[in-house]
Amino acid sequence: MSRTMTVAAKTPSQAGAKAGSRSALGWVLHNVVWIWLIALVVIFGLFNQFFFTVNNMQNIMVQATVLGMLGLAVALPLLVAEIDLSLPANLGFSSAIGAMAYSDWGLPWFPGMLIGVGVATFIGFFNGLCITKLKMVSLIQTLSMMIILQGALLALTQGRTITNLSDGYVWIGQATIGGWPIMPFIFVVALVGVGILLTRTVFGRRVYAVGGNPVASNSAGIRVDSVKIMIYTLAGFLAGIAGFLLASWQMAITSNQGSSYLLYAIAAPIIGGVSVFGGRGNVIGVLGGVLLLTVIQVGLAIISVPSFYVGMIGGFMIFVAVAIDAIRVRYFS
Amino acid sequence: MTVPMTAGSQAAGDYVLKVEKLGKVYGGAIALRDVSLAIRRGTIHGLLGENGAGKSTLVGLISGQRQPSSGTIYLNDVPLAHSDVQKMEEAGVFLVTQEPMIIDHLSAAENLMLGIWPRRFGFVNWRKLRADAARMLAGTGIDGAMRAGALDAVARRKLNILRAMFSGGKVIILDEPTAALTVEDRKQLFDFMRRLKADGVTFIFISHYNDEILDICDAVSVLRDGALAGGSEDVGSLTSAQLSELVLGRGLVLFQRERRSFATDTPAVELRDIVGPSVRVPALDLRPGEVVGFTGLPGAGAKELARCIFGLTPVESGTIRFADGSATQDLPTSPRDAFASGIAFLSDDRRRDGAIGQMSIGANISLSSLTSVARSGFLSKEAELALSQRYFDAMGIKAPSAEVAVDTLSGGNQQKVCLGRVLATEPRVLILDEPTRGIDVGVKQDVLRIVDELSRTGVAVIIVSTDTDEITRAVDRVCIFENGTIARELTGSEITNDRLRGLEPS
Repeated sequence: MSRTMTVAAKTPSQAGAKAGSRSALGWVLHNVVWIWLIALVVIFGLFNQFFFTVNNMQNIMVQATVLGMLGLAVALPLLVAEIDLSLPANLGFSSAIGAMAYSDWGLPWFPGMLIGVGVATFIGFFNGLCITKLKMVSLIQTLSMMIILQGALLALTQGRTITNLSDGYVWIGQATIGGWPIMPFIFVVALVGVGILLTRTVFGRRVYAVGGNPVASNSAGIRVDSVKIMIYTLAGFLAGIAGFLLASWQMAITSNQGSSYLLYAIAAPIIGGVSVFGGRGNVIGVLGGVLLLTVIQVGLAIISVPSFYVGMIGGFMIFVAVAIDAIRVRYFS
Repeated sequence: MTVPMTAGSQAAGDYVLKVEKLGKVYGGAIALRDVSLAIRRGTIHGLLGENGAGKSTLVGLISGQRQPSSGTIYLNDVPLAHSDVQKMEEAGVFLVTQEPMIIDHLSAAENLMLGIWPRRFGFVNWRKLRADAARMLAGTGIDGAMRAGALDAVARRKLNILRAMFSGGKVIILDEPTAALTVEDRKQLFDFMRRLKADGVTFIFISHYNDEILDICDAVSVLRDGALAGGSEDVGSLTSAQLSELVLGRGLVLFQRERRSFATDTPAVELRDIVGPSVRVPALDLRPGEVVGFTGLPGAGAKELARCIFGLTPVESGTIRFADGSATQDLPTSPRDAFASGIAFLSDDRRRDGAIGQMSIGANISLSSLTSVARSGFLSKEAELALSQRYFDAMGIKAPSAEVAVDTLSGGNQQKVCLGRVLATEPRVLILDEPTRGIDVGVKQDVLRIVDELSRTGVAVIIVSTDTDEITRAVDRVCIFENGTIARELTGSEITNDRLRGLEPS
């Protein structure tokens, strides 16, 4: 039966060549994040040789860890066509709870840390409940949750910075093996873990289905609400781990811990190709987005761009990445 | 029998629209190849063809949504250079899409004049708007003050056609305007079109249904594989079989199930005391291997009961008992429960709740049976591939491979993917809601054949359909719904098109 649309035999060589150059351009645009990343590394390196040093590479990896954990967390609700703006605030609040469990309630640091991560996970779960069972709009629900958590952190700390963290607590943020910091290792584990979850498991497949078409997913026998609640819970958990890592690395918890990550944590997965409309994206993309943003931040600092210009130039570089990606979607998919 | 389209036989002025050697290439695929046709002023010109035959591409070019790769479009014998939707609309060519473009919260009158609201001192002149609208709507049965969202399907279609006319439409292209309309609605719409035709409006009418084309069109053009397969300026001289042959390029063997009587068989499924929103069915038995048709007017309960059985609509009460000796249980409360107890359902609206467009064919097929191809939550690549390949082949899905995204398939093939997905769950009861709506006559036979074969394996099948032809061809027994309950049943030789049609109010 050959009743479908006829595919043109590519008789003229011109058509073949055109298709070839088109697919080459498509490939470039498809991998624009990575190409842009390499280009920026080269450019920054040319400006300042220090950029290529092992020290700096280690610095970038450490810097990328917290943003990466948070970017992964933000990517999850995006995959099911929802959003969670409260994750960076959750990071700050939960780490403060964990630290206070140690300093004020006299618990050892490890259970304290677990309480912090537990609180973060529960907040994620609660967000999921509100969005599915109460049908609250995720943008507004998590925005209000963000404001609540930021306020709660301020109230907890009374505006002061928590610094009396135990040696055990800060160990992970400071420890090195053979001169290499171990913190990025946690990010790699999370990246691989989430990657396996999304691509190799029944749950992951359901996540993409729900993001692609929730109504059809329901008809296909998927419990859409459960999938979303799980996703929010997992995002909360990752934010909790990120909170622990940030506090451990900085050896301090400020009264607005985490807030500065908000926009970058949202930008990273989107730059990495996670669709805000759900159902599209993968962890490799998130990694690319995270590394790109981190390289921009670190690079601008290293080549001594006056701090007044850092924000503007960094923003412009992100804009270019997003614009090229939009062009790719417009013409190549 | 085929009368090739020749534009020269009459005075040129007779033709409002002509296209010459129109071609369109997407990427490497030829969507349309050297299509020439001429459309006489004040006629209804049918455009027929399978899914993917190039109908949408052709009207897309004519309406200015897309640019032709080659060829020329003439409007009133004037060749049109590069055009766009706005230019074509100014010239009087309007495309009315399948999904009525209507803003629900505005009134019918406001929708009618969308974009051309009369103004006065920069403000909307409401009085003039209402007066103009009332004049246009006179005799259509539509109240201009009514909220558009409250209008029924046929009124919405009419509103769209009127809007096109009111904006100066001389040539109105209707893309499958009868989809989702009942027999009565269809009749109303056709009367309306005939009236407008008498006023000099020209229609291009796209349809999958031969009987519609024969009923309303003056002339017809048939597309196949992106090229003009034939046509006629005198539709009256054509038969339905001739049209089908033109569409398919071969004689079409219409599927006909050999009806059996199952009356004495032990039921595979006993449904009892179902009370749900607008459904009340005390008892219904399904026998293994039986194909039961549910039909009736919209809202009469056929579709509603099907959705209750699958757990998509919550019920007040209702039980189900399977013949395997298991206990009587409540109806499933969710699709997931339904699948778990062996009930599968295929929705009538595959865009809304059928396939996941951006996922691959394979991933769609396995979506409802993921646990069967996984071990402790981890998918087995081989098992999944085997499952999806099996149904990809069995359904005869036309695509390069099962890796292709469902988005890129034609409607009929998307429907086969959805069918493959529900069959992959190996159901005991299969419920199909309008399984062949909006798919072409060739794929329709494929779908009915697949269902027939499945029933031979002992699966009980329910087909919900308002297409009487489909019912007569595919089922052993028909349940006719009225007021939320089964009013009558027909079996065996009682099932005829006429008898089913006669039950529709005329």
